[in-house]
Amino acid sequence: MSGKALDVLIVEDEMLLAIELEYLVEEVGCHALGCAMSADEAVDLAARLRPDLALIDVHLSDGPTGIDVARRIHEDCGGTALFMTANVKRLPEDFAGACGVIGKPYSEHGVKTALAYLACCLTEGRAPGLPPVGLTLAPRYAQLWGLDQPLSKSA
Amino acid sequence: MNDYEESRRAGARLAAEHNIDDPFAAAIRATRMAMIVTDPSQAENPIIFANDAFLRLTGYGRDEVIGRNCRFLQGPNTDPKAIETLRAAVAAGEDASVDLLNYRKDGSTFWNALYLSPVRNDAGDIVYFFGSQLDVSDRKVIELRARDRSDDLRHEVEARTRELTQALEQKTVLLHEVDHRVKNNLQLISSLLLLQNRRVADPNVKASLKGMLGRVNAIATVHRRLFQSEDVERFDVSAFIRDLVADLMGSIQRDDIEMQLDLERVDIPAAKAAPLALVVNELLTNALRHGFPEGRGGRIFVGVRRENGDFRIEITDDGVGIDKTSPVSGFGLTIVQLLCQQLKARGETTDAEPGTRVVVLLPVNGAH
Repeated sequence: MSGKALDVLIVEDEMLLAIELEYLVEEVGCHALGCAMSADEAVDLAARLRPDLALIDVHLSDGPTGIDVARRIHEDCGGTALFMTANVKRLPEDFAGACGVIGKPYSEHGVKTALAYLACCLTEGRAPGLPPVGLTLAPRYAQLWGLDQPLSKSA
Repeated sequence: MNDYEESRRAGARLAAEHNIDDPFAAAIRATRMAMIVTDPSQAENPIIFANDAFLRLTGYGRDEVIGRNCRFLQGPNTDPKAIETLRAAVAAGEDASVDLLNYRKDGSTFWNALYLSPVRNDAGDIVYFFGSQLDVSDRKVIELRARDRSDDLRHEVEARTRELTQALEQKTVLLHEVDHRVKNNLQLISSLLLLQNRRVADPNVKASLKGMLGRVNAIATVHRRLFQSEDVERFDVSAFIRDLVADLMGSIQRDDIEMQLDLERVDIPAAKAAPLALVVNELLTNALRHGFPEGRGGRIFVGVRRENGDFRIEITDDGVGIDKTSPVSGFGLTIVQLLCQQLKARGETTDAEPGTRVVVLLPVNGAH
């Protein structure tokens, strides 16, 4: 992959998904910092470990707290949040400060290309092209990374 | 009673102008239509003449009405707006026609279709007002009843609409909840397969797991697409194929194989989306796996279009061809055959010289 090795925090209450995600993160050359299953755990880990990227499910073990987690990681911990949810339509319009969303069910390849793409965006400060299939960027980040029509090829 | 005397005298003057043999006066006295004449030159514009029909309608004696303003017929349920219309017409010296709820002497009510009009002398000055009263209670009751009924109906429709809107909202919430669970469970299934694939060493088991993972992914791709459009009943095959191809090509990492897509937008019922996705997935993986062994690159064409009432899906490769390699994976072929049967679709495999062409014809509506 082209970007630097990102430190990635996984916020997911489904253990099997979290573990598999850890493998995928490592396979694309990123570094998995750990997994959090609840909002408190996630914010606590993010404050201590300072991840570059946090992969966040909306529904955590303490309820639909993922949106709040994304906002706090974005605002308080300086990390970039990315949602991974089956409920893409329920996300707030501003993505709670997150850079985008990968819709569930995602594929192994979908996650890997999205991670590689984001690693590039985060290190270069601009997108290497349109986002890959499966990744939708938040309008603010699409603009930030130099994409004018962020939603034209999203899925 | 001064008013009474003055009005009686005014009435007498009016009568004097019309002798007993005046046919118009006789007609007014005898008609079944209630009629009155009032004198606007006096304060209060009192009645100076009332015919017998008026006395019968209202239940009053003649000496009880002469000298009084007509408003004694009004009561608590008389519409103030109708009274105002009347007052304004009198003040302006104009005609007025209103339906008025009036009260008889015994307190009973009737609907009075009142027509009031000024009478002018040669100089154009108003000297009298002429009023005729028609009891329209029957018509009015029907009217009011109809209005009540339409009000009831409207309320009923509103209540029903509210109920249905609520039911629809609940259904939508439920649909989203179910959709959410289906997607999460598909994710769980594919994670399970991936995790096990990491654990096993046997290449045959790995291949089986990869095959199943591909099939689960195909169904997952369908579900990602299914609720993206507003129409949950229809499914865009072309968009799905584009996603599937991107995912398949991305995961096999074969730069020596070129994909060529010619996709027309074609919608199928959502219920057929998963089986069709599985068929396309099998055909594509077969073409990739059997048409192009390691080191043998080439091109795969995928086309979707309408043709004579069918959806025509074509997958053609210029690979090594069916006859020159080992037979297509048994299980994959079975899946294709069974699902084509289910979809009432026809599949044809021909030699593309070089390579293989598979065409699936799916009827737009019903069977062939």
